[in-house]
Amino acid sequence: MDYGNQYSTTSYGAGGGQNGGGFMPGSQSDSPGGQKGKYGKDTLRPVTVKQLLDAPHPYPDAEHFMIDDQETTQVTFVGQVRNISQQTTNVTYKVDDGTGVVEVKVWVDSEVMNEDGQDPKKVTEQAYVRVFGRLKVFGNKRHVGANVIRPIQDFNEISYHLLEATVVHLQSTRGAPGDAKAITNGAANGAANGMSTAASAQLAGVSASARKVFECLRNSPQTNEGLHMQDIAIQVNMDVQAVMKAGEELLGNGVIYTTIDDHTWAIMDM
Amino acid sequence: MSESTPRITAQYLEQFSHQTVRLLGKVRQLRGEQATIDAGGNVSIYLNRDSHLQLNHAVEIIGKVQNDLSVRVMACTDFGPENEIDFVAAEAVVDATHRYREIFYEKDT
Repeated sequence: MDYGNQYSTTSYGAGGGQNGGGFMPGSQSDSPGGQKGKYGKDTLRPVTVKQLLDAPHPYPDAEHFMIDDQETTQVTFVGQVRNISQQTTNVTYKVDDGTGVVEVKVWVDSEVMNEDGQDPKKVTEQAYVRVFGRLKVFGNKRHVGANVIRPIQDFNEISYHLLEATVVHLQSTRGAPGDAKAITNGAANGAANGMSTAASAQLAGVSASARKVFECLRNSPQTNEGLHMQDIAIQVNMDVQAVMKAGEELLGNGVIYTTIDDHTWAIMDM
Repeated sequence: MSESTPRITAQYLEQFSHQTVRLLGKVRQLRGEQATIDAGGNVSIYLNRDSHLQLNHAVEIIGKVQNDLSVRVMACTDFGPENEIDFVAAEAVVDATHRYREIFYEKDT
């Protein structure tokens, strides 16, 4: 499978060298020019269409959506094409993956490199396709602006994608496999079970970043007053806001408590 | 929202009676407008004019579950010879669909 290639067209490092200008030649042709500074946070997430339709849009001009409380810009999914509509500036596909239907728009000028006179992607109605793109909203309606839409070659890609989307969803909402009922990688389960069971029991149900903060608190040398969140931020290499949010989660779960001030935390061990 | 077609296997037919679902199964019998597929258990399906099924192929059916737990087919897609499809993965998908249904469908009953 050539998944590796697809990732690189949308990731940060790939096209930077070509123009030397710090912006991406392969990116969405309909993006406004001011995108330069934002690629550091671009992520690619496998999703179901239902997740796309349900994802909260934090504020009207936001470039990202929230899926499982994580900022999401680019997504990938696999579904069946129900309808193809050729328009002047784009081709609009209606894609159904069994969880919902979403419109996928491929802008015509990004097709310039392909042959004239035939549909270069060979995407036909009722065919299953893999889509890479960004979720966008226009008024009340959501659609996906696609960089890539291609027919799948192997029908197992459908099962693979749905299972991958499930794993990523569970990792974001419940933390790494170990307490989750992971169906896929048995090896990952085995490795994660090696971590302390006491910690697992307390941490069941927190996000991955909360786990990191907790592990840092557990393992770092500190006085009995605990660690300030700035120190934690440096150690785990996260934003202070993300550490603050993780800390609130852990405080809510009762696994840490505040000491000399609201931002200094220690592990609650009885 | 109600355009979702949850993936199921034979054991879920009763739970999804009168709903539109997806089944992935192996074609076992063809009898004119009726057929039998093995989707974790035998399921009777009633075909429409556009369905072209082949024996021992894997097929994905979108259809409505009837009172007698047969399925009236609305659309079908041939997935090729059955030995090319990983049915263990497909069953895992059905399991995940119902266990973590929040990303797959709205449970409205």
